[in-house]
Amino acid sequence: MNGEQLVNLTINGRARAVRATPATTLLTVLRDELMLTGAKRGCNQGVCGACTVLVDDQPVRGCLSLATNLAGRAITTIEGLGQGRELAPLQRALLERGAVQCGFCISGVLISAFALLRQNPTPNVDETRAALSGNLCRCSGYIKIVEAVCGVGEEVRS
Amino acid sequence: MDFYRPTSLAEALSLLAQQEGARCLAGGATLVAMMNAGLVEPSGLISLADLRDLFGITSLPDGSVRVGATTRHVDTAQSTIFRAGQCVLPAAAEKIANPPVRNMGTIGGSLAFADPAADYLPALASLDAVVEVASRDGIRTLPIGDLVIDWYTTVLGVEDIITGVIIPRAPGGSIGVFEKLERTAGDFAIASVALVLAIEGGVCSAARIAIGGCAAKPVRLKEAEALIEGTRLDDAVLVKAGRMLVEACDPVDDVRASADYRRLVVPRLLVKTIARARVALGAGS
Amino acid sequence: MKEVGRNLPRLDANDKVTGRAAYTADLHRPGMLHGAIVKSPHAHARILSYDVSAALAFPGVACVLTGDDVAGGKFGPFIKDECVLAKGKVRFVGEAVCVVAAEDEAMARRAAQLIEVTYEELPAILTPEEAMAPNAALVHEDDAANFRIFQTECGGNLAWACAFSEGDVDAAWAACDVIVEGEFETQAQAHVAIEPCGALAEVDAAGRVTIWSANQSVFRVQANVCDALGLPMSKVRCVSPRVGGGFGNKMEMHVQGMTAALALATDRPVKLILTREEDFEMVRLRHPYRIRAKTGARHDGTLIAREVEAIIDCGAYGDDSPGVMGFSLLMARGPYRIPNFRASGRLYYTNKLRFGAFRGFGNPQVSFATETQLDEIAAKLGIDPFDLREKNAVRAGDRWVGGGAVHSDGFVKCLESARHASHWDERRKRSAAPGKWRALGVACTAHISGLLASAAIVRLLEDGTVVLNTGAVDIGQGSDTVLPQICAEALQIPVHKVALSSPDTDGSPYNWGTTASRVTYMTGRAVVGAAGEVARKIKVHAAEMLECGEADLELREGGRVGIVGIPQKEVTFRDVSLRAHWAVGGPIIGAESVMYDKPTIVDPKRTVFSGLPFPQIGVFSFNAVVCDVEIDKASGKTTVLEAWSACDVGKAINPMSVEGQIQGGFVQGLGFALFEEVVWDGARIANPSLMDYKIATTLDVPREIHPLLVEEPELDGPFGAKGIGEIPICAVAPAIANGIASAASVRLRQLPLTPERVLRAMLAQGNVV
Repeated sequence: MNGEQLVNLTINGRARAVRATPATTLLTVLRDELMLTGAKRGCNQGVCGACTVLVDDQPVRGCLSLATNLAGRAITTIEGLGQGRELAPLQRALLERGAVQCGFCISGVLISAFALLRQNPTPNVDETRAALSGNLCRCSGYIKIVEAVCGVGEEVRS
Repeated sequence: MDFYRPTSLAEALSLLAQQEGARCLAGGATLVAMMNAGLVEPSGLISLADLRDLFGITSLPDGSVRVGATTRHVDTAQSTIFRAGQCVLPAAAEKIANPPVRNMGTIGGSLAFADPAADYLPALASLDAVVEVASRDGIRTLPIGDLVIDWYTTVLGVEDIITGVIIPRAPGGSIGVFEKLERTAGDFAIASVALVLAIEGGVCSAARIAIGGCAAKPVRLKEAEALIEGTRLDDAVLVKAGRMLVEACDPVDDVRASADYRRLVVPRLLVKTIARARVALGAGS
Repeated sequence: MKEVGRNLPRLDANDKVTGRAAYTADLHRPGMLHGAIVKSPHAHARILSYDVSAALAFPGVACVLTGDDVAGGKFGPFIKDECVLAKGKVRFVGEAVCVVAAEDEAMARRAAQLIEVTYEELPAILTPEEAMAPNAALVHEDDAANFRIFQTECGGNLAWACAFSEGDVDAAWAACDVIVEGEFETQAQAHVAIEPCGALAEVDAAGRVTIWSANQSVFRVQANVCDALGLPMSKVRCVSPRVGGGFGNKMEMHVQGMTAALALATDRPVKLILTREEDFEMVRLRHPYRIRAKTGARHDGTLIAREVEAIIDCGAYGDDSPGVMGFSLLMARGPYRIPNFRASGRLYYTNKLRFGAFRGFGNPQVSFATETQLDEIAAKLGIDPFDLREKNAVRAGDRWVGGGAVHSDGFVKCLESARHASHWDERRKRSAAPGKWRALGVACTAHISGLLASAAIVRLLEDGTVVLNTGAVDIGQGSDTVLPQICAEALQIPVHKVALSSPDTDGSPYNWGTTASRVTYMTGRAVVGAAGEVARKIKVHAAEMLECGEADLELREGGRVGIVGIPQKEVTFRDVSLRAHWAVGGPIIGAESVMYDKPTIVDPKRTVFSGLPFPQIGVFSFNAVVCDVEIDKASGKTTVLEAWSACDVGKAINPMSVEGQIQGGFVQGLGFALFEEVVWDGARIANPSLMDYKIATTLDVPREIHPLLVEEPELDGPFGAKGIGEIPICAVAPAIANGIASAASVRLRQLPLTPERVLRAMLAQGNVV
């Protein structure tokens, strides 16, 4: 393919070599080459947040990140968040609190929430709302998502 | 499309000069979005990721602060280096888009795009910031007011790279407040007010006001500031200053709001912003 | 009850929270091509010629199709007026004109740019006013030849007309002590499901097509594709991956027809996923409405008469517009005993993107007008808005417009619940923060669950566990959890012993669609019926095995059946099923088909009507919403600080899921009320992107949206349940507008309630300087 080169990325702890042109986004590489389809394309403009992944533990937009520019960085996707069959407490919380409806936004939400909890294990409602303000959800109205994330914090506290 | 990752500013400048149609890539928040939309197709990308000198916030001996061009919005927003009225800049950075985008976008990238409704420009205008630009001819500076010359257009040439922004010391005892009117959180501003304000003994000793989202570039009017400096900031004088600012604005109708609404709301936002500043300064209302 | 009424976590959520759930865009098939669409740049033009040669020559391109290449017919749920690709002329900017299939998406899009189409522009009709003008250009010159499922007044650019009348409205005004009259305007709203529309089609060696798509009904996909491509239904199989939200956008055709056409032409699988911009520009939107409403009452608050007239923009194609118009007029009386009622609507074709189904289906638009007027009357009479509504509320035994029966006091219970929970009486004028005004606002609505047909098959697997097959698509609203809960309860087995088949037109019995708030109610009824048949057949076996009469038997928890009063005399479902599979009778299968069959117009002498788009509609649900509204005096920007929404759901099969629907619907209503608007720049949509069209983020919603569940069992609902999908959006805008009126003494009659509109109203009123 025109201008495609091999780029070395670390994805979910594994070294992967992927083909990318300079214009190829991380989102495209994840979904079409690595078949890691957890990150979604909702707008391709960085607004909806369904493509959010972690780069060096920070949430960023997969659709606005160029794969070629991420050589040497550690990328974590939703597929890398759980513990095999075991759900992480955050995943279980979203499930048990009824926060998951159509699910299309939820990979991105989990990434942002994961990063929040790592930095602030007991966030309050305002901190959670702020951290998730870049993840659009059209189904839930956000209330149960925020409750679930704060709930994980409460479990930690108790 | 070719991809370059220079390790020095000199190398980056050289590449920019040699590769016609190549663009600098900082955070990519705007450039990649435009590439995805098919609005721009650079012949090459010059990543600034390895230019360490372009990153970071440092305080200088004279009390000014230098913000490197590839400093991310999140870093500017969370920095504790800013003092007094300089804090209008992190306040503005905090309002940009949303957390993941703030983890990517940079001040240099934002300035180079010159979106009239973006948040840095009015904050920097209220601070009399100075932009540092590199080219193969060397480093030069220009006042922020000279950067934007038209809608989405800066004075920069294709071979220029913004390297940093210098925020001068703010007036003693001043406070910085950023008021952003937006449809929903993280949207571009309908209108914004960047304010640096100092009050001594109930009297305004310094006022710097920049209006965003209402013209091709932020609107600052010394006459409006002079009008309120030395007063007790009563509503009547603020409204008058607001109207002067509106006269200097050149708003457009867009999907976010009408030009008429912007003219209507700017003086009111000024009053509100000053009220917020007074509360924060503990000066009461 | 064990499973019904339980907050069971969604059965499909594990896949979603681990990133394993597969939506249409996540699917890959060997040899797959990618599709791209060439869109019309004109609002109204004849197509003169195509030059596809450069596109065909582009590397990687397998096929290019124009409207001339697609044999077949027209499709549309009420008026069959649409083709897969524009034929002969284009009728809106963005209409699909050609499609390309290529080895990857970038190639397909590049090749699409190389296709040249020449047009002869025609005058564009951009508003209903232009459409109804004498000698206006005709959007559909061949309208008379288009098949309509019902006869109605139409012609010129009039696509449909509909009217209802009960009592004697003209005479009734004289009896009114207060009358309010006004013009209201609501805007086009975009669905913005986070998953854009898309499809993947594959053809087998015999030419049979399989279509995966983002859909709300595999059966509608099948019917539309077959209409559009002229194929027998036995040649088309439609299946459903996970769907990322629909809200009405995915109920009727989007790209499935063109994708199938490409697959047939190339003999390779083809995937076509719309960009977000295309999703805004090409699919469908909520109808903008212009409404003239008039409501009259006596001194004591008794409502006497209401009249509603609506002019509705259809857009370029009929789609669900007749249904939306008819439904909104039917709902316009509201859940009140208003004896004299007249509603009429006229739907006009324009050269804009088609308007179609969107959660609420016209109800949010008319409720904005009618619920505003109730508050206006309350204000004029000095009656509390809740008291006024309660005084006139429909109760069990009352009749809807047309004579349909109201089965419960659910509405009054909703009023009580919302009033109490919001502390309405104590907090009417709440203390506002500096620079703000603040007040509570209330509005109410009714909606339906029902419409058309659903079916269910329950089959006992050999080991006594069960597989349930309905064909109902879960678009995120939770039917994949609720239907197994219903089935499990009906058979008294744990829900994890019920497997759920994925919707498949080959094997699933039928579901008209996930729409009209109907799946819990209609498909749920079918599930109960099918499970009941399985239970009967189990008892036939058990009676033989236990040597007793069938009437002596009872189902027992955990998949057992035994003789009443004799605990030790029992057999398991497994015992029975093995017997059935290997010895006697054959596999145990229960099936039930249901059709909503109560007539909408019970007595044509009582209700005069014309152009009714649905002869049988559904059972009624009710809702009362209270919003704590805050207005920023400087900017006019309005925020909802807290909200309460009481919904009569009959029975909450899964309360947590119902709460999620109420909260999600509220937030979509919030957007409709305050900031969402599709804006046209001449003939083009000006804001077809998420940068320019804004939906609520976490920071734009109240910190608390209290879902209040009222459970007045619906007579024939499954375990008393009825729907919840749409009602939570319908009354939000008037609740907010009524709150604004209370807080700032300004009455707004146009949506969205933007800061500019609110500020100008406040300035005009002299409330602020």
